[in-house]
Amino acid sequence: MSEHEPVIGIDLGTTNSVVATVRDGVPRVISNRSGQLLTPSIVAVAKNGKRLVGALAKRQAITNAENTVFAAKRLIGRRWGSKEVEDARRVLPYKLLAGPEGNDVRVEIAGRVVTIQEISAMILAELRADAEAWFGRPVTKAVITVPAYFNDGQRHATKDAGRIAGLEVLRIINEPTSAALAYGFGKQVERKVVVFDLGGGTFDVSILDIGKSVYDVVGVGGDTYLGGEDFDRRVMDWLTFGFAKENSGVDLRQDKMALQRLKDASEKAKCELSAVPGTSIHLPFLVGAADGKGALHLDRQLTRDKLEDLTKDLVERCIAVTERTLKDAGVRPNQVGEVLLVGGMTRMPRVQKAVKDFFAREPCRGVHPEEVVALGAAIQAHALSAPQAQGSEVLLLDVTPQNLGLMVVGGYFQTVIPKNTTVPTSQTHLFTTVQDNQTSVRIAVLQGASERAIDNELLGEFILDGIRPARRGEVEIEVTFDISADGIVGVSARDVATGQQQSITVTATSGLTEDEIKRILDEQIDDLLERKQTNREFEARRDRVLAMVREIEALGPAVQEALERTKFGKDAVQKAESVLARVRQAAEAGDAAAIAAEEEQLDRTLQLFKGLASAARPAGGK
Amino acid sequence: MSVDRYKGFVFGPADLAEDVDLDVDRRKELLFLDGSLARLTHWEVLGLAWNAPAEAVKAAYLEKVKIFHPDRYPGKRLGSYRARMERVFRRVTEARDGLSDEARRAAYAKQTAPPEEFARLEARKIEDERRVQERRARLSRQNPLLARVGRVAELVKRGKEAMEAGRFGQAANDLALAQGLDPQNAELAGLVADARRRAAAQKAGELFEKGLAAEAMGSWPAALAAYRAALEADPRHTRAASAGTRAALEVGDPGAARELAEAAVRATPQAGAAHEALAMVLEAQGAKKDAKRELERALELDPRLESARERLKKLKWSFLG
Repeated sequence: MSEHEPVIGIDLGTTNSVVATVRDGVPRVISNRSGQLLTPSIVAVAKNGKRLVGALAKRQAITNAENTVFAAKRLIGRRWGSKEVEDARRVLPYKLLAGPEGNDVRVEIAGRVVTIQEISAMILAELRADAEAWFGRPVTKAVITVPAYFNDGQRHATKDAGRIAGLEVLRIINEPTSAALAYGFGKQVERKVVVFDLGGGTFDVSILDIGKSVYDVVGVGGDTYLGGEDFDRRVMDWLTFGFAKENSGVDLRQDKMALQRLKDASEKAKCELSAVPGTSIHLPFLVGAADGKGALHLDRQLTRDKLEDLTKDLVERCIAVTERTLKDAGVRPNQVGEVLLVGGMTRMPRVQKAVKDFFAREPCRGVHPEEVVALGAAIQAHALSAPQAQGSEVLLLDVTPQNLGLMVVGGYFQTVIPKNTTVPTSQTHLFTTVQDNQTSVRIAVLQGASERAIDNELLGEFILDGIRPARRGEVEIEVTFDISADGIVGVSARDVATGQQQSITVTATSGLTEDEIKRILDEQIDDLLERKQTNREFEARRDRVLAMVREIEALGPAVQEALERTKFGKDAVQKAESVLARVRQAAEAGDAAAIAAEEEQLDRTLQLFKGLASAARPAGGK
Repeated sequence: MSVDRYKGFVFGPADLAEDVDLDVDRRKELLFLDGSLARLTHWEVLGLAWNAPAEAVKAAYLEKVKIFHPDRYPGKRLGSYRARMERVFRRVTEARDGLSDEARRAAYAKQTAPPEEFARLEARKIEDERRVQERRARLSRQNPLLARVGRVAELVKRGKEAMEAGRFGQAANDLALAQGLDPQNAELAGLVADARRRAAAQKAGELFEKGLAAEAMGSWPAALAAYRAALEADPRHTRAASAGTRAALEVGDPGAARELAEAAVRATPQAGAAHEALAMVLEAQGAKKDAKRELERALELDPRLESARERLKKLKWSFLG
């Protein structure tokens, strides 16, 4: 393994993603190939069949809402039929389907059904390509961040997405932890730090005890369904409701394109209100009028006060979660030495004020809320790939975000590893049979906070058989839970008497199997070959067309001369010029369809010019 | 870290020879710790003295995790040492967790204390408890509403303590006072009765001893008075009754003697000594036949009464003679 091999840290966000690295001991964000630091987490298939990722996908989202997938992070690793997925189905403009087993969630995009992991992988691959362009060499190793509150299934799915994108995922780390890492890196920080991370889709709060370059997480909490998009939705609902009132009940939600414009406008207004006290939302020609004549426009004023009023309960929820997390970790607000605000939503003045009031201290302003997570991931990636220099070493000690345990008789949940346990960790529990002559036992592994098993997330189940027949309660089964530094769960069960053992890495029921990942990777290779083929065709055509352009340009003076002596052909030259301009633009943008469309026209222009030039030459010679 | 830390620990040569990127000191440390995890206390795992304070635990933990977290060896070959490292890391974390909470630390300290420390801790615990009680009592006295309840609790507590110390008179007194403040309390009533009974028995015992002492000095009237007082405190004190009878006879008051003896028999008809006392009176009064019957009864009830046997022999001989 080369020590100089570049490694990256990726903040795979709900709305935006960022990639960063550590170069010469300094963490820095890598700008994408369009020169932007943030890449929208959006994947689309354009009308011409081209796959678009990032800003390009976002730009066409309005006109192509059905084939534009955003906020995939809200769905990754989720089970079909879960509350989260049902909620998402109601509000998302693109189509969701159940996977073949009926467990996981898939998206239909341009007639093709793909897994959420693949969608995320496309974003990761884009970021990887950006990093490769920046480094000028291949990048294969990365640390990816996830919300601290992600369960095992969601972490697994994210790791799989990394693999599909051709990355070796060195570690999955928690976003708030990552932010704290970036905050403390290179400083001699000795204090308790609270990270308040309100991003696009999730809210996380983590408490860390930082000392001697050891980042010891002492408590995490959060809400996977609370984020900037919920704030947007409040504005959208307010606009939709007001619009319906003004326009005799026109429901904007029926129109996908209008909905997308509304969503963008709401997000924009919300962001603006962080800086100014009032803004106007102006959406002309939003929908056709009910009587079929003309179109309806939306024009409303939104003040900061109104926005704060609309989202008051969301901010209160954040504070309530924070309070509970502190309590669980046994930390009082006045023991906290620093509060970091992470995520774009923390720009909102009301959020900052709520945090300030709760902790009775000014939050730290030294970190960039949108970049800090990726920077921390890059630092961790760096620490995990090369021995570190004295003084810049870091060690992350993260914790489990949720109780991990088993289902026991009566449908109850028995915790084996409680939340906020430092990982890696392992715990062994003894269980016993509940029936006479029971020879097999089903072990359902769950994660969650409820006493009732059914309310918790099922990570997976397995069966331990070959138990010797005996009276109930006589056979002892030793179940060992193991959580790796990634937060990924392994379970093994052993019959104490016979030594019969079974172990599994718990793959979530909503996860991809190894076969599926192989299939996806194979498909990718096919895709790649196909794309190479089309690329070759495209390049051949482009070269042909550009040769024609050069030829026409060479003929230009002669044609000019010929035409000067006639009264005809002015419009022909104008037409030729516009064709040339279009072709040049298409060639530059690499738009194969446009080039193909212009080829014939160009050929005709060339023939015409050739004719004119040859006709002009004898005349010019006189 | 002294060299003899590993004393008595046998390193596997294969483990030491494993082809990994770790120096021999680190290997030895890992092998030793991994092999001793179960035996070491939380403090020992962290390399600290017993009952080291929370700050020291935290500092030691930070040092240890830097050594024992596998993440600290990126790109290094660790072989079987990776698993050992993780085990040590888990144990070190467990130690930190167990010692960072004050209540858990105190409990663990008690559990693992060296013998002399254990004794000291126990003494301090008792002292602490006493202080808490005192404070509670003081607070309750200051509060008029609580005063009554507090006073009862205090009296009962003091009464129980006196009972345990064998000061039954004191106990009966305190408990009776408490009962006066809380007349409905059945448990308290039982305690009072018990205390009174024991107090009476104790007092009777003391008076009896006094009587014996007076008797030894030949002061029969004083002895008689003491025995009578003892019987007044505890009518069932048979030995006081029989001694009293004897004293009354010595003093020359057969009426009083008979009274005492009969009282003794009434109080404890099953006690041989009571019957013996009555026999003495009867004999002194000349009712030898009755005296003989009483002595036989006494011996029947208590065959070990040698003095009664002697007396009976004498009586029999006097018949014969």
